[in-house]
Amino acid sequence: MQKRVWLFRAGFILAMLLIAGRLFRIQILQHDSWIAKAEEMHIVQSKIPATRGEIYMLENDEPVAVVLNQSSWTVVIDPQTANPEKTEKIVGELVKEQMVAKWSDIFANRNLRYYVAARNVTRDVAKKIREEELTGVYLIEGNSRVYPEGETGSTMLGFVNAEGEGQYGIEGALNEELAGKDGLLKTVTDVNNVALSIGDDNVRVPAEDGKNIVLTVDRGLERKIENGIRDYLKEKSATHASALVMDPRTGRVLAMATVPTYDATNYARVEDGSVYVNPVTEVAYEPASICKTFAFAAAIEEGKMTPETTYYNPGYFTIDSQKIENAYKGQLGEITMQTALNYSLNTGSMTALMLLGGSTQEITAKARETLYNYYYERFGLGKYTGIELYESPGTLVGPHDEVYGLNAFYANMTFGQNLQLSMIQVAAAFSSVVNGGNYYRPTIVAGEVTKDGEFVRSEQEGPVRRTISEETSATMRRMLYGTRNSRRLYGIDKTGYYIGGKTGTAQTIIDGAYSFDETVASYIGYGGTEGELPEYVIMVKIWEKGQKIEGEKDAMPLFDKLSNLTIDYLKIRPKGV
Amino acid sequence: MGLTFGLMAAGLIVIYAIGPQRANFMNSLYGTDFSSNYFFLHQLVAVVVAVAAFAAGYVLPYATYRKYAKIMMLGAIILNAFLGLLAAMHGWQSWGIVKCELGACRWLNLGPLGFQPAEALKLALIFYLPSLVMKHKKEGTLGKKEFFIPYVIVMGLSLLFSVVLQKDMGTGVVIGAIGIAILWMSGIEWWKFVGVLLLVLVGGILMIISSPHRMERLMTYSGEGDSDASYHIDNAMLAIGTGGMFGVGIGNSVQATGYLPESINDSVFAVMGETFGFVGLMVVLAAFMLLLFSLIKTAENVEQEYALVVTGVMAWIGAHVVVNVAAMVGLIPLTGITLPLLSYGGTSMMFSAFALGLAMQISRLTGRETEPIERRQTWKEVSKRRMERSRA
Repeated sequence: MQKRVWLFRAGFILAMLLIAGRLFRIQILQHDSWIAKAEEMHIVQSKIPATRGEIYMLENDEPVAVVLNQSSWTVVIDPQTANPEKTEKIVGELVKEQMVAKWSDIFANRNLRYYVAARNVTRDVAKKIREEELTGVYLIEGNSRVYPEGETGSTMLGFVNAEGEGQYGIEGALNEELAGKDGLLKTVTDVNNVALSIGDDNVRVPAEDGKNIVLTVDRGLERKIENGIRDYLKEKSATHASALVMDPRTGRVLAMATVPTYDATNYARVEDGSVYVNPVTEVAYEPASICKTFAFAAAIEEGKMTPETTYYNPGYFTIDSQKIENAYKGQLGEITMQTALNYSLNTGSMTALMLLGGSTQEITAKARETLYNYYYERFGLGKYTGIELYESPGTLVGPHDEVYGLNAFYANMTFGQNLQLSMIQVAAAFSSVVNGGNYYRPTIVAGEVTKDGEFVRSEQEGPVRRTISEETSATMRRMLYGTRNSRRLYGIDKTGYYIGGKTGTAQTIIDGAYSFDETVASYIGYGGTEGELPEYVIMVKIWEKGQKIEGEKDAMPLFDKLSNLTIDYLKIRPKGV
Repeated sequence: MGLTFGLMAAGLIVIYAIGPQRANFMNSLYGTDFSSNYFFLHQLVAVVVAVAAFAAGYVLPYATYRKYAKIMMLGAIILNAFLGLLAAMHGWQSWGIVKCELGACRWLNLGPLGFQPAEALKLALIFYLPSLVMKHKKEGTLGKKEFFIPYVIVMGLSLLFSVVLQKDMGTGVVIGAIGIAILWMSGIEWWKFVGVLLLVLVGGILMIISSPHRMERLMTYSGEGDSDASYHIDNAMLAIGTGGMFGVGIGNSVQATGYLPESINDSVFAVMGETFGFVGLMVVLAAFMLLLFSLIKTAENVEQEYALVVTGVMAWIGAHVVVNVAAMVGLIPLTGITLPLLSYGGTSMMFSAFALGLAMQISRLTGRETEPIERRQTWKEVSKRRMERSRA
């Protein structure tokens, strides 16, 4: 009998107890925390990227793509394993424009494993790089935007940044619709991240691709307007100008052009980031005398005046002990309101404001309230229009705001100063003045192109509200026609068309004070077949740092040019044809 | 016997469950072309071979092995020396029939079967050490230097081969366990036994310190290392931990899909933990305990020489189980040895099964043999007599 075996029995029992205790701890007590750890390790969540929607403009009422997607490649270098000389020689030779890093930077830290050397590399170049079979050089496929129209409309369209997010313009404002929704793949994977069929927590949410958005903008008109501005600026000292062409009968934007443009493919190369900003919707400024249109329309609508109403023009009024002068020094004495508008006399629009309050001598609270009601509530000035783009709401002082010299403020507002408005606000309000009194929400989206290539139009919205009566609107058309033609000699516009408009010149506000050496010029007008409602409204704006740009001298000729281009392009027939 | 085959069958089931994932993983990682049944079929072959080995161990009379114990020991030592020599000549790189992994040369490639010469060492010790003890006991020199000189030489060489040359601490522990267990059962004075034990412990510590590879594993165990070994243990414990009470079920092990290294060989216990849970592991451990206790009971009741052989088998299997399982649950550092009868791999299973077959044979002798062992028949004599009888 072997007695010493007790030691083995004791040893194994001890070992098994230890092991069993340990197992109990791991499997029962710590079970939940191990499960959590396992999920962290086993479950991979990956994005199923959604395809970004494309952007179309219209041409002959059919969608034409102006922003497309194409496959492109990103060149990534592993500085630790790549050969600096060989890589730079071969890749540098093939990829020039698309480099986003300097070679010296790429290889500055050889401990790094990942350095993006180039983006938006084309299929051909990617193929050549791949054929070189370089160590530590990788190609990652992705999507990039292509712009078959070049720089046309860049300020309106915006761009997509390196992270795939839309920035500025349509790309930015409608990013959510264009981007779609990335899908989600949540799955248990093996150690190489290959999905397994184990487990019941696997999730697969397919990606929702972005919408293909069709703009109301006409591709041909957009290009013509943009080139028209560019040609015009060649003769001028100014380098910045914007133009907006709208259909006053629907609120649809037909063209929205700003010069200078930029290359959205290489958006990062612009010298001045301000070119990204769309001056038509995102910049509020003082449109100046253009606003007389709204002050006069309000007074006529209120029955306080007609174009023939007369007043005494002393060349200036003193309000809140401020002397507010006319820019034009003539036409003193008893004159009509039409004359006041023709010569853009500030005393005329201030008289209209006084008339709104039932006085001819002073600006009453009622005058302020009524003007504010028209500007803000009816014409939608100083607030968002609701166009599908980034907007500035602008500013408008209320009729009872506690500001120093409130009446002087309101006097200024009648000729478009002491308020901040965007071009789109002014153009939408002006459209209602000339179209019979209906305010339409300005819009730039015509619909979408479905995955099957079908163009589905957005429903045309009806007018949001009435601003003025049809009669007042007709009167305003006549007044604006008179103003345009009194200053331009009859016959400047082609016969058979009825075109009216108003200038505006405002001192630029620099650091909160009006500048004496810099002005911004605007012109807004409508046009169409004589005897019919206007078919287009065009607003232009020209500006340049440190220069006095004037409405009549600089902005009006640009309008003339673009107006004629529009008539030709839209094939608007003259009266009797 | 039932226990042995039951454990082998359980191993087969696990391999069947995770084999396809393993094949998939290997194929995707190394571009190999294992079919999904590859591992299962191989294990099936290994089980068949192991059953044959068990039968052989059971049928061939112990007296035969006893006769050739010295020669077997010598052969095993020469075989291991040969492996070491070939490996050393080629800078510890795989070459010809020598197969090395990470600088550890443990395998001889013999046709389709990889063979670990260290297994031969274990088996030879089981025969040699009991005969050495019995010889010196008879001569009254047990516990004297006449006994210790050959004992230390054989054990020293075996440990040198396994631990130093083949860098296999796990096998070293098993060989050490066999040697120590047999020494204990030889009946020498306890203080001599404790002295040897201390000597072995000191030697073991020196070996650990002398090897950066083992040092690292120890650091990993103490929580300071950050290496493959730490990754291995973390994932083993993760597998066991996610198993919970009843496991995730057959074929649902995620850890076996590549997270857990050696999922079908050394880490099979962890995969079983994930698959069958706490309850399943308790059943497996209970089976091993029953197996070990039946070996101990046999050793308790047979004559001393038999008892020493069975003790060797028991130490062999027991050390494998304890060292493997304790490492998987993070109780001791990882050494990389198989779980007997369950792990994928032919050599280990074949030798374990053979040893168990032998123990089975001995257990059946209990109380029935009266003749002194020296006079019992070898296989040759038995068959000779049978042939004579059949002629007659």
